[in-house]
Amino acid sequence: MFRKFLALSITAASLAGLSACSAPERMSVSGSTTVLPAVSRAAEQFTADTGQLITVNAGGSGSGFNQLAEGQTDIGMMSRDITEGERAQFPNFTFMPIAIGRDAVVPVVSSEIYDAGVTQLSLSDIAKIYRGESDNWAEFGGPDKAIFVIDKESSSGTRQTFMDIVMGSSKADAPGADLVIGSNNEEQTAMTQSDAAIGMLSIAWLNDDVKGLSVELANGEIVTPTLMNVQNGRFPIVRDLNIVVRNDISAPAQSFVDYLLSAEGQVFVEQSGYIKIK
Amino acid sequence: MTTAALNTISQSALKNRPRDGIRTFARVSAFGTSAIIILILATLFLQSGPAIFTASDSLFTARWNPAEGVYGIVPMVFGSLFVMVIAMSLALPIGLLAAMAISQMRHQGLRRLTKSALEILAGIPSIVYGLIGVAYVSIWVAGAFDLQSGRIILTAGLILAVMILPTFLSLSEDAISSVPRAYQENGAALGLYPYETQRAIILPAAAPGISSAALLALGRALGETMAVMLVIGSLDRLPRPLFNPLSSGQTITSKLGREIGESAFGSTHFSVLVLMSLILVTLTIALTIAARHIVKPGSPS
Repeated sequence: MFRKFLALSITAASLAGLSACSAPERMSVSGSTTVLPAVSRAAEQFTADTGQLITVNAGGSGSGFNQLAEGQTDIGMMSRDITEGERAQFPNFTFMPIAIGRDAVVPVVSSEIYDAGVTQLSLSDIAKIYRGESDNWAEFGGPDKAIFVIDKESSSGTRQTFMDIVMGSSKADAPGADLVIGSNNEEQTAMTQSDAAIGMLSIAWLNDDVKGLSVELANGEIVTPTLMNVQNGRFPIVRDLNIVVRNDISAPAQSFVDYLLSAEGQVFVEQSGYIKIK
Repeated sequence: MTTAALNTISQSALKNRPRDGIRTFARVSAFGTSAIIILILATLFLQSGPAIFTASDSLFTARWNPAEGVYGIVPMVFGSLFVMVIAMSLALPIGLLAAMAISQMRHQGLRRLTKSALEILAGIPSIVYGLIGVAYVSIWVAGAFDLQSGRIILTAGLILAVMILPTFLSLSEDAISSVPRAYQENGAALGLYPYETQRAIILPAAAPGISSAALLALGRALGETMAVMLVIGSLDRLPRPLFNPLSSGQTITSKLGREIGESAFGSTHFSVLVLMSLILVTLTIALTIAARHIVKPGSPS
């Protein structure tokens, strides 16, 4: 997390230094850490192609929307839809979410738990764990260990998508939670440091230490978390990765949006581990 | 040069010096500083108004869910106090004993070295402590107590203790050193053991300085955001059981740090966050006033 943050801020600082002495105005994009990898890769190429300088900042979906609404950024990144409440706070503007890719939110467990045999859970089992009704891996065929439940901050798009499908409401409380973290990077670290944790991660963030579980649907069908199952719509916890713009979008920002949606821009969505939109 | 010539020079220098200008500037500065404090308090009061009116039914509960309009601030207030108590109860005894030891050092070079090391320690940015906390301390704590995660209240308290230690130590050492050496010599002349001299003469004489050092440390402990935010685990819930330092938690500052960017200006959510900072400021002011009344500057008896 910090390495990326550092790299970004160094980029930002050097861009700021550049823009101070040369002409083109810097453009900024900020918000969801889920959408960020694809956008920052595309931004790099876009800058190389056109000379337009772009700063990409992390901050979460909620903060991405607020910054856009308050005019602090040109484009917001959100890994969820804009809520009615958010729209209502800024009645003077209209906001348009534009999907640039698709993502799945995967329930993940520590590799120790996965290796001990817990490789799939039903949606209702996961809900029980997050409600605090089940608190031991032995109940699901794992070792006799307390379940360490990792939740995310309530404004996180990852959490809202996950809670919507698993608990039935994107705003659901998780009384079973033991730790709350902010970004995907933090979650990945916390998962790696623990040996009995369950959490939620965007599919692009899975690795050897953080294993994605197969999900058992209500009809008994078991779906593995693969890109193919996300693409064909079988995996249940999916969402659009959005960028959000305001109705008074600037011309350079519009051209970057067009670039993201072009075949060239969509390559970066795939490179980041997500599904392209077209 | 003759005295008369000197007088002429100094008189002309006095005439040319813009004394009134400086005086006015000094007064404006003084009033300006006080005005800033009043302005901050007024802003906090005004902005926290909506919270008191629209969120009053959930405000003093232990459940936090802004999306559903539930704003219980009890876990954050409790977390702030809990972390502060842990940090102070570690830093005060260690700091005080270390300050006494340093003030007794006969070797001036060694003493200067220790003091300057402390001052450097006090100047390290808090994010650095936070990084060390996340990368090392939280893992050590998790290992030591066999926990799934070291992002807990205790880790935050430990990091904070290290952060406030140099400030407290350095200032209380100044207070102890400024007690006239004659006091100590009188103690020895009366046949007191060194520790008796320290306890009965030096410490009471330095008490006002030590307590103001403790207050500064307290202020930093309550207000510290970055380092605490990274290691405390952000759980908006009271620990179970209540005084379990091995549970994740949330302080007022870490809550503000995490969520101020997510809340729109003017919303109830924003207003509740402001209310929490008002509580923090009030707490600090109350502690300052209380400490002034408890410890009256006295002379050694």
